[in-house]
Amino acid sequence: MDFDVTLALSLVPGLLWAAATTLAIAIGSSAIAAVVGFLGEILRRSVPMLRRPINFAIDFLRCTPFLAQLYFFYFVLPFYGIKLPAIVIGVGALGLYFSSYLAEVFRAGIDSVPVSQVEAARALGLKRFRIVRFVLLPQVARHVAPAMGSYFISLLKATPYLAVIAIPEMLGQALDYASVTFRYYEPILVVGAMFLILSLGLGHIFRKLEYRLALPHATK
Amino acid sequence: VGFVGILARMFEGLGVTSEVTLYGLVYAVPFAMAGGVLQYRLEGPARFAVTAVIEFWRSSSAVILLFMFFYVLPYANINLSAMTVSALVLGLNIGAYGSQAVRGALQAVDRGQIESGLALGLARNRVLWLIELPQILRPIVPVFINLFIQLVKATALVSLVTLSDMTFRAKEINQLSYQPVAVYSALLLAYLLLCYPIAVLGRRIEHRLNLTPELRHGL
Repeated sequence: MDFDVTLALSLVPGLLWAAATTLAIAIGSSAIAAVVGFLGEILRRSVPMLRRPINFAIDFLRCTPFLAQLYFFYFVLPFYGIKLPAIVIGVGALGLYFSSYLAEVFRAGIDSVPVSQVEAARALGLKRFRIVRFVLLPQVARHVAPAMGSYFISLLKATPYLAVIAIPEMLGQALDYASVTFRYYEPILVVGAMFLILSLGLGHIFRKLEYRLALPHATK
Repeated sequence: VGFVGILARMFEGLGVTSEVTLYGLVYAVPFAMAGGVLQYRLEGPARFAVTAVIEFWRSSSAVILLFMFFYVLPYANINLSAMTVSALVLGLNIGAYGSQAVRGALQAVDRGQIESGLALGLARNRVLWLIELPQILRPIVPVFINLFIQLVKATALVSLVTLSDMTFRAKEINQLSYQPVAVYSALLLAYLLLCYPIAVLGRRIEHRLNLTPELRHGL
């Protein structure tokens, strides 16, 4: 069977719309991942009682496949009478999975600032909030930016998993077309190409941002 | 069916899960080593070609790649079994990540050592083989262990292309018994039992490497 260019082109508008869905999912999940990951890291640092449970939760999320976690939430929550739209479960599960990776990134970032700096700031009479805002945050942000960027790209690359719970992101949409037209060739190749462009483009943007965030002498 | 019974039936899929993982390694490790070394050593258009291949495997989504190769290769009259396609796609995807660790580790080897090797009259490739490659083993081992866990986890995807691995069994058992809580808890537990020991091992090795920084930078 030959590659039908007309058919492939006719799929593009619909798939671009699906690409917007993919991006929206990625942005929403990234926000959840960053917030939950940050809270997790702060809580395990400051509340000794929570350290072990949070460590276990992080290991658990990192040692099980995302697909299995997605099925778990999708099938187990309704069983307990919690009926959420698939998109909420998908975005939430994706955010939770990546929060476990981001928590470790934040840990390394916070650890990278020497304790003596915080002590010095305190000795200078800075209030707690000002220490966080002016001493810790700028240094931690620089340290975590590259790793966060690469996890956001990994998250984008994990959005097609949500096709298995019938969310019309790019792969889901392509498989829908395929099941209607009985042609897998064009939809999947088009979606593969579009996804590659999306992921490479995002990688390029993140590298630029990282470059701007770096200190002048640190850039290679 | 009790929880233990469900777990036992799920582990019947362990064979497929390990088979995909092991065949995946057959693609991943050579691709990571060759890709990393070539990207490090080549220049000009050849380097660009290697980078393009690595970026294709690294920047695409594993899910889409798997569907793409599973559905599109038959149109090109290339008929591979689902097992081969899965091992190939997942292996090369993980291998592409690994290649970046190999390249990074090679770039971190002290320049002076390469110069010394060349000054001693060794050919450039001998320097690579005898001086640089043995030294990168230490820094890449923890990364490869992490990637191995990623590969094991990625094998759950093969349940989407008709292979009856642990995840596929879970879906099957759930359809028959409708006990989603027990079935999917057992599935998560099964993967945890598989991956957690490897993660702990990896952390130990990483910790030991960090304790001896003088060894990491060569004696």
